[in-house]
Amino acid sequence: MLFALLLFAALGDAFAQGDAKRGQYLAKAGGCVGCHTEDREGATPFAGGRALQTPFGTFYGPNITPDQQAGIGRWSEADFIRALRHGVRPDGANYFPSFPYPSFTRITDSDLKDLWAYLRSLPPSARANQPHDLRFPFGWRWLVWIWKWLFFTPGPFQPDPAKSGILNRGAYLVDALGHCGECHTPRNFLGGSKKSRYLAGGKLPDGKGVPNLTPTRLKKASDKDLKDFLQTGQTSDGDVVAESMGEVIRNTTSQLTPPDLEALLAYLRSIAPLPEEKK
Amino acid sequence: MKSKLAVVTFALLLGVTLDAAAQAKPEVLVKQRQAAMTLQGKYLGPLGAMAQGKAPFNAQIVQRNAGYLEVLSKMPWDGFDASTKGEKSAALPAIWEKAGEFKQAQERFENEAAKLVQVAKSGDEGAIKAQIGATAKSCGGCHENFRQKN
Repeated sequence: MLFALLLFAALGDAFAQGDAKRGQYLAKAGGCVGCHTEDREGATPFAGGRALQTPFGTFYGPNITPDQQAGIGRWSEADFIRALRHGVRPDGANYFPSFPYPSFTRITDSDLKDLWAYLRSLPPSARANQPHDLRFPFGWRWLVWIWKWLFFTPGPFQPDPAKSGILNRGAYLVDALGHCGECHTPRNFLGGSKKSRYLAGGKLPDGKGVPNLTPTRLKKASDKDLKDFLQTGQTSDGDVVAESMGEVIRNTTSQLTPPDLEALLAYLRSIAPLPEEKK
Repeated sequence: MKSKLAVVTFALLLGVTLDAAAQAKPEVLVKQRQAAMTLQGKYLGPLGAMAQGKAPFNAQIVQRNAGYLEVLSKMPWDGFDASTKGEKSAALPAIWEKAGEFKQAQERFENEAAKLVQVAKSGDEGAIKAQIGATAKSCGGCHENFRQKN
């Protein structure tokens, strides 16, 4: 009895602490390294600096290593959970939604704890953050309140009991961690995702095309083709994917366990087919 | 005087002839450049599979394909003649609007392909796989900004 209690306490503690190893996998599934690492050879992972160009200006991903000054070394776990769940900084100000918290809000508490444990285990980097370079008036952070009110629904992923475990896992990987919709769902003029066009692709504000991930398009490809593509970045005829997705494939989809990759595809095959965006 | 005129005439004629040889019809240029890139895909594809561990590593095939790719890497570019702007293809106007960047992207691929030839000779499997990745990345870098995604 005592042993069982001790074991339970130890396990409970392990869960409460978060598991850095699981967190490492979740960080891959979330593609964190992409925006939080400079785009040059030899850049320190998670030390920030990637430029994200948008119609509202250029955002720079911040340093998320545990450095006391430059990184998030002074944060608490609760700060981290609040940042991802609610899009709020430790000082209470809103993050710009270039940080994809509309997706990350769906990450479960236990996964957030594991992610936090992993980020704490990284070597601190003193790389200083650079301020975002935003067009007037989008640099006004308080405007994000309105944006959030319009477009942001906080709350963790709730599995659909009517669906299989695989489909729920796939939904979680695509909608929460993978934040696929941040690029594959078209946005309105205020940068809010068009919910009725979820994952239907179209054009990014900079005019670049993004493929439709609903069955309308994916039905043309076999599971093997899609798996190969998400692992190698190449299609069966040797075509090479453009680098924005190439990076996602290197950092995320090629790193997924085979069951997770299956779940991801099963979920995409299960969603409602939406027609291609009008050109 | 007459001989000078002959030289100039000859030079002009030669110029016109060379130009005509280089100036295939726009639709032909598009077809040819696409063919060059199709072949790049043909010879890069199996290497990508090897780099990802989806196919058994074969140093000989890597060496052979790397040699092909080095030559093929130079071929598509003169097909992006301004005369082809109006042709139906995935080529974006940025190719001509940002000609300098396009040129850099070409050179990046040519350099990576040339480096792959060198690394392939070394027999160092890890280095070869990394260089295959770098070569594919240079393809994707160009596709990112200069090819219409769909």
